[in-house]
Amino acid sequence: MVDAPILSATDLGHAYGSLVALHSVDFELPAGRIGLVGANGAGKTTLIKILLGILRPTRGSTTVLGFDATKEFLDVRSRIGYMPEGDCLPEDITASEFLIQAAGLAGLPANAARQRASDVLTLVGLEEERFRRLGGYSTGMKQRAKLAQAIVHDPELVFLDEPTAGLDPEGRDEMLDLISRLGGFGINVLVSSHVLGDIERTCDWVLMLDGGHVRRSGPLSHLVDADVVEIEVVGESGALIEELTAAGATVETSRSRVFVTAADADPFILVRDALAATGTGIWSMGPKATTLEDVFLEGSDV
Amino acid sequence: MSDQGAVFDLGYTPYEGERRGRRGAVRTTYKDGINRVFGIRRRARKKILPWILIVLAVLPAVVFVGFAFLLSTFAPEADSPFGSHADYFSITGAIILLFVALAGPELLIPDRRSGVLSVYSSRPLRPDDYVWMRAASLLTAIAGFMLIPQVLMYVGFAALSADGFFKGLGANAGEIPRILAATIIYALAYAPLALLVSTIASRKAAATGIFLGIFLIGSALGAALVQATGIPGHRYAALLALGEHPDHVRDWIFSRVGSSNLVVSDAGLDPWISLGVILAVAVVSTIVVIRRYRRIM
Repeated sequence: MVDAPILSATDLGHAYGSLVALHSVDFELPAGRIGLVGANGAGKTTLIKILLGILRPTRGSTTVLGFDATKEFLDVRSRIGYMPEGDCLPEDITASEFLIQAAGLAGLPANAARQRASDVLTLVGLEEERFRRLGGYSTGMKQRAKLAQAIVHDPELVFLDEPTAGLDPEGRDEMLDLISRLGGFGINVLVSSHVLGDIERTCDWVLMLDGGHVRRSGPLSHLVDADVVEIEVVGESGALIEELTAAGATVETSRSRVFVTAADADPFILVRDALAATGTGIWSMGPKATTLEDVFLEGSDV
Repeated sequence: MSDQGAVFDLGYTPYEGERRGRRGAVRTTYKDGINRVFGIRRRARKKILPWILIVLAVLPAVVFVGFAFLLSTFAPEADSPFGSHADYFSITGAIILLFVALAGPELLIPDRRSGVLSVYSSRPLRPDDYVWMRAASLLTAIAGFMLIPQVLMYVGFAALSADGFFKGLGANAGEIPRILAATIIYALAYAPLALLVSTIASRKAAATGIFLGIFLIGSALGAALVQATGIPGHRYAALLALGEHPDHVRDWIFSRVGSSNLVVSDAGLDPWISLGVILAVAVVSTIVVIRRYRRIM
């Protein structure tokens, strides 16, 4: 159970005719930065559309910030922002004009909309370009403008759908930094992405969808498995492995990495002793960090 | 810190002011529609056509009043050769048809093509609100086109009245409800159909072409079929002349049925049939547009 969830679903399902996109999904998500991951067709976009009140679920219910997303969608939309994956920028007006319009559409009075548009364009690094027409923006600038329209009205929660799509490495870094900062502004974030590294870098909770089912929902910190020690060895690892095996540890290797578990002992103690006994040099040692990719590829719940 | 410059982190200021919710969203949608149809805050080329059409709609009224002034000064006994309020609708009716053909697609198609509709979908706005506010923007523009020159003429002719300005105003006061009614008829005849075409077409040029085609081809086809006296009920082919129905109803409103050269009039169709056609097309178009936007928003 999550205290005061900002998003929740109970027996939530949706089907497009005979094609079931979501199967009886249940979750509770806490305030903070939430990653929504899954392959194409996993049900991410369907879930976001239901949360926005654009789609009506065929079964079950869902709440956003305590409001029923289907029955009270206007209340929900007054409090959230949305950065769609696809284009959402009119080409023939300036970024400043578009943001003023986006703020007005969220209900802000004209003067406040102008002020917020200016502030948020500065925040996303577009202050120098704010009087340029959006049609002339680069991909990176367009992504920033899309993020800006999603937060211009200071929402309590913002949905970001594939925010790094089409960005070069530098632009991706900058976008992820911006997303990481949103939490500090008091804005909760739901980032939908199939780039697992982006989620690992920006989020503290993950909701993993696979084929319309929830495969995992929990804090990212739970992905760190303290029962497995991961060592990156300098040079040959043969002597170390022999020593650990003789001490009763179970050892697996992957290139220069050695993973150690022990049924009846603390694996860290065994590794410490084996390193001292064999004089093996190491680059790093610590609890094994399971990546989202590992979880995804394992095909089983963590 | 470098002496060449400094970076100031201005931070982020949460917004704690007024939030108008749906009311604000509706108002912004309407305002954006008005800006769009007149090219306001858009590139210069987007302003050219609407403003040329405005000038074309208003200029004859200014000229009429000017000539009426000259006539009243130099030949006060002569009858005025200038048209009535009803006649002026013939001028603005044609101009407004072209304006709506351009403005309807401009209101709906760019939002769909550029994906801006997804931004509207994330704001406190119902799909019906979006459609109604787009329609309201178009209706406001049409009303402006039709009423501004009529007001100019009304006030101008009153100012030139031999009995004085206020008596001049009063003498023609009966025209005011007729002018308003005719304006509503033209708006209903053109705007819903333009929005329907713009809902179906994916490109602005195609929508403009289809819209004008419906009126031009419909009128030509209707005229041709009405002449085909061998076909039973041939006169009802005049129903196809969609562009003539508002003119026919306008003549009815101004009590001058039969004074215009119209296929629907020549075919002997009653004005109320033209009114029925206008209302039916408007209602069906509105229902289709709203249903479509309920699906995509």
